[in-house]
Amino acid sequence: MSVNAIEISDLSKFYGKARGIEHVNLEISEGEIFGFIGPNGAGKSTTIRILMNMIFPTSGSARIMGMDVIRETKKIKSHVGYIPSDANAHFSMDVHEFLSYCIRFYRVHNGEQRIADLSGLFELDLKRKIAELSMGNRKKVSIVQSLLHSPGLLILDEPTTGLDPLMQSIFFELLRSENRKGMTIFFSSHILSEVQMLCKRVAIIKEGKIIQVEDIETLRKKQLKKVYIEFGDKMKIEGFDIPGIEGITTGPGNILSFMYSGNINELVSMLSVNKIINLMIEEPSLDEIFMHYYKL
Amino acid sequence: MNRNLFLKELRRNALSLVIWMSVITLFISGTMAVYPTFLENQSKILGMISIFPSELLQFKGISNFADLLSALGFYAVNNIIYMMVLGSIYSIVLSSGILLREEYNKTAEYLLTRPLTRSEVFVSKLAVLSLNVFLLNLITALAGFISLELVKNEPFSIRAFLILSLYTLLLNILFGAIGLFVSTLIKRAKPITTFSIGLVLIFYFIFTLSKITEGVSKIGYLSPFRYVNTNATDPAYAIDLWHLLYFIGISLLLTGLAYRLYNRKDIYT
Repeated sequence: MSVNAIEISDLSKFYGKARGIEHVNLEISEGEIFGFIGPNGAGKSTTIRILMNMIFPTSGSARIMGMDVIRETKKIKSHVGYIPSDANAHFSMDVHEFLSYCIRFYRVHNGEQRIADLSGLFELDLKRKIAELSMGNRKKVSIVQSLLHSPGLLILDEPTTGLDPLMQSIFFELLRSENRKGMTIFFSSHILSEVQMLCKRVAIIKEGKIIQVEDIETLRKKQLKKVYIEFGDKMKIEGFDIPGIEGITTGPGNILSFMYSGNINELVSMLSVNKIINLMIEEPSLDEIFMHYYKL
Repeated sequence: MNRNLFLKELRRNALSLVIWMSVITLFISGTMAVYPTFLENQSKILGMISIFPSELLQFKGISNFADLLSALGFYAVNNIIYMMVLGSIYSIVLSSGILLREEYNKTAEYLLTRPLTRSEVFVSKLAVLSLNVFLLNLITALAGFISLELVKNEPFSIRAFLILSLYTLLLNILFGAIGLFVSTLIKRAKPITTFSIGLVLIFYFIFTLSKITEGVSKIGYLSPFRYVNTNATDPAYAIDLWHLLYFIGISLLLTGLAYRLYNRKDIYT
C-alpha cells in the first residue's frame, strides 16, 4: 500500500482567539509537485510550521511519509528538506561554514563534494560571509542547505523571493530534475504563475481554510482573466450575457471590467460586434481568483 | 545531546566567556593587589571603617574587623559578593538567550527543521550553559586562589575558600536556571537581556535592603543571595545543608520546568 508523502487531517491552529488555520485537510502523494497558494496571512506558513513541528496544532493531525509530525519528528526530518521564507540568518558564518554545519546533522557521504556541487550550480562564493550576501544570494544558500542530504520531501515556503529570473529558472529545473528522481515537493507561494509553472496540483488557502484543491491543468483550462474594455458607445451591463463572465463593474466613461473564464478568442469575437476603443486583458489578483472560487 | 549543535554553541559563546573571565579575573587581581598596602596601613583604615554604620559593615559581611586582616577575610569581603553578582549576570544573560536567540535571530527555522528532537536541542544548549558557567567559576576561583597565595601573610583555610567558591557556583547555576525558565515563558521572540540583568540586580537589592534595614529583614528570604554565607573566617564555617538543598532543588525545578515548556513551546521567528 502506498503511503502519502503528506497527509493532513482536520488540522486547526488558533493563536488564542485568533485564527491560524481551520479544519485543513490535504493529501499529497509521493513524487508529486504540489502547490500551496494563498495571500500573506492565509495560513500557509502556519500549516508548514506544524508539519515541521515548530508549532503545535490546536486540533487535528498531520503525517509525513506515514509518520506523525509530533511524535516522529526526528525521523521525519532526516528525510525532509525545508526552505524557510526568511533567509536572513547566520550572519556571522561564512557560506561554507554554514553549509558544513548543516550537513553534519545528516549522514551524508562525500558531504564536501555535495556542498561544492550544489554551490557551484548556484554560483555561490563559499568564502563570503552570509552577512555580506545580497538577499538573492542568501536565498540561494537557503536552497542549497535544504538539498544537501538529498531529501525525499522538500518543503518550500516562498522560496523564490529575491531570486533573479535566471536563478529562478535554474532552481525550477533543479526541482524538476529532483522530482524526476522521486522527490516530492510541497511548494508554498503567493505567486500563482510560478505555482502554475511548476506544480501538478494546487491547494488554495484563504483565511485559514482550504477553498480549492485542483489539478493545475484544470486551473489552466479555466484561464481566468481580468478584462478591461472601453467601448465607443455607452454599454449596458444587462446586455452582457456571455458565458464565463462574472463580476461586471462599470468604470468611468464607457469602461467595463469583469472576470472571464474561458477561451479568449471566443470572448473577443463576441465582443467585436461592438465598437471597441481599448481592450486590456491581465492576470487577476489572487484575491480576485479567490472570489472566483468562492462563487463556484 | 547533539554534538554538532553543542560544538557550534560552544564556539558561539567562547568570546563572551573569555571576556567575562578576563574582567572578573582582573577585578579579583586588582582588589587583592591592594591587600599588602591595606595591611601596612591597617590601623588607619580600620579606624576609618569603624566610623561606618554597623548596618553597612554587616552588609559587607564584616562582623569583626579582624576578619579583614586575614587574606581570606579580605577576599571574602571585597571580592566574593561582586564575583557572585557578576557571575550571576553572566549566567542569566547566557541562559536567557541560549534558546530564545534562535528565535529572534531567525535561526530556529534552520535548527528545528534538522533531525533533532526538542529535548536534544534543550540538552545540547543546557550542556553548553553548564560548561560555560562551570568554566567561568573554575577560572575565576583559580585566579582568586593564585591571588590569595601571592598576597597571603599566613596560611588560609583552603576548605573555607572552596566553600566560598562552591556558594558562588551554586548561585550562578541558580540564576542560569532562572534565565532558562524565564526565556521559555516568552511567547514572541525578543531579547530579554535587560530584564535578566535587572532580575539579578533586583534580587541583590532586596538582599541588601534586608541586611541594612531593620523590620524588613524577612524580605531577604526572597533573594537567592540570602542563602549564601560569606563569613569564611568563622572557624565553624561550613556549607549549610538546607542552603545546598535550596540551590540544587530550585535549580533542578526551574530547569525541569524549562525543559517541559520548551518541548511544548510554539516557536516563531
